[in-house]
Amino acid sequence: MGDQYIALVIAFLIFVGSVISVETGISVALIEITLGVIGGNFLKLSSTPWLTFIASFGGILLTFLAGAEVDLVILREKAKESLLIGGFSFLGPFLGAIGYCHWVAHWSLHASLIAGIALSTTSLAVVYAVLVETGLTHYEIGKIIMASCFITDLGTALALSLLFAEFNLFTLVFAGVSIVVIFFLPKGSPRIFKRYGERVIEPEIKFLFFILFLFIYISKLGSSHAILPAFVGGLVLSNHFNQNRLLQRKLRIVAFAMITPFFFVNGGLHISLSMLYQHFGLFVVLFGVKQVTKIGGIYPFARRYVKKEAMFTTLLMSTGLTMGTISSMYGLTAGIIDRAQFSVLVAVVVSSAVVPTFIAQKWFYPSHVVTAENDFPENPKRGGGDV
Amino acid sequence: MFKKILVGYDGSEGSKKALAAAIDLARHYGAELHSISVEEDLPRYAATVGEVLEAKAEKNGYFAKLNEEAKSLAAKQGITLHTKVVAGHEVETIVNYSREHHFDLVVIGFMGHSRVYDRVWGSTSQNLTRLVPCTVMVVK
Repeated sequence: MGDQYIALVIAFLIFVGSVISVETGISVALIEITLGVIGGNFLKLSSTPWLTFIASFGGILLTFLAGAEVDLVILREKAKESLLIGGFSFLGPFLGAIGYCHWVAHWSLHASLIAGIALSTTSLAVVYAVLVETGLTHYEIGKIIMASCFITDLGTALALSLLFAEFNLFTLVFAGVSIVVIFFLPKGSPRIFKRYGERVIEPEIKFLFFILFLFIYISKLGSSHAILPAFVGGLVLSNHFNQNRLLQRKLRIVAFAMITPFFFVNGGLHISLSMLYQHFGLFVVLFGVKQVTKIGGIYPFARRYVKKEAMFTTLLMSTGLTMGTISSMYGLTAGIIDRAQFSVLVAVVVSSAVVPTFIAQKWFYPSHVVTAENDFPENPKRGGGDV
Repeated sequence: MFKKILVGYDGSEGSKKALAAAIDLARHYGAELHSISVEEDLPRYAATVGEVLEAKAEKNGYFAKLNEEAKSLAAKQGITLHTKVVAGHEVETIVNYSREHHFDLVVIGFMGHSRVYDRVWGSTSQNLTRLVPCTVMVVK
């Protein structure tokens, strides 16, 4: 199959995905993964080097966006609670999945580490949609959950960058350059944005892409992964993005229109339904491992800090999607896991975006919080009371 | 008879008729008038916070404009309209809101779906009529 044909079909799938997303209200990412699965299993599409390259950049861009979405004020405000809940939300499933995959399923140590990282993630975006829809972003519980998600994301980025690094001289270069760039970004980039921003040729977006490609290049030299500097780079620019909504919006438009769809479709293309069927038992068990270890890690601390909403908090923190897919994709492209392991891991990650969210909203929704006095704080921008 | 009226308002033709009826009733009974607009269709299981925020910003802009128009329509009749925008499922949100704020009348527009949809899920108007704890008026 020629590149042009593959590009044509994928472009069509991406367009159809956006239409389905608008019509159904389901996240475009989930639909793109599903369409990728259909493309790979029924239309006989396969990934190509150019697609893999765009997709890997898409993963780094998504990580940068995840870092830029961190609310540093909330993180500082809820540092203690979030460190405990978010930290154990990462550690519980990380250790549990490694243990199960290595000693019970007999995966290699590195493949088990990938499983541990992929299943330890919490999807801030999935959680955030629920918090917005239920109005909980304005309340104590919502802030604790968001701050905890940031910590879990950081754990994922740290693990993926450090556990697979083959330490050599270039690793020091990678670390050194990353640190210098991250120190430069908060002070230097606003100047660049001010001087060259708000033009149709978008030098500011090009500058950010240059930084991300720099991270990718030096991480490759240092035999590591660019996920950590990309996440921290986004994090140090988060205040600037909050003040510069136009730039944030432009970056999202470029990312969602042209780059991240390739990441999710490419992820779907690698999922083999027949392999998933063959390993269905493992899929069920790993889903169980993720949920049980998440509950074990989070619930005790959630009981301490948000007693009445402990199970709701625990279930929301048990969701995963983007970072889990990024971690699995890294494992596959680096040859650490095979296609069957990838199919099982991504299926578990996607299921964990849907099932715990549904259960949390259906049976553990903390209605007592939003029906208390003064229910929804007013927001004059919206011409009415806000959630 | 009615002291506190809630109207469901989403800018559709049915809801515009409901708003007009609710303003008339509020004037007639000297009642307090509130409207509720429900933001549905925020992306579920999103991959990035940005996707949720952008979808929400689009909805916010839509409802802000809509509620300004509704307020000025009510003001022309000498009625103060208190507006509320809430994200969530339409039926569940209106039912909970009317219960928690002790409305004695909920006015909604008739929302027609296909026969198959209505048979399988029940129409929004039917569900609201069944579940809202006070008097419900469906305007056609």
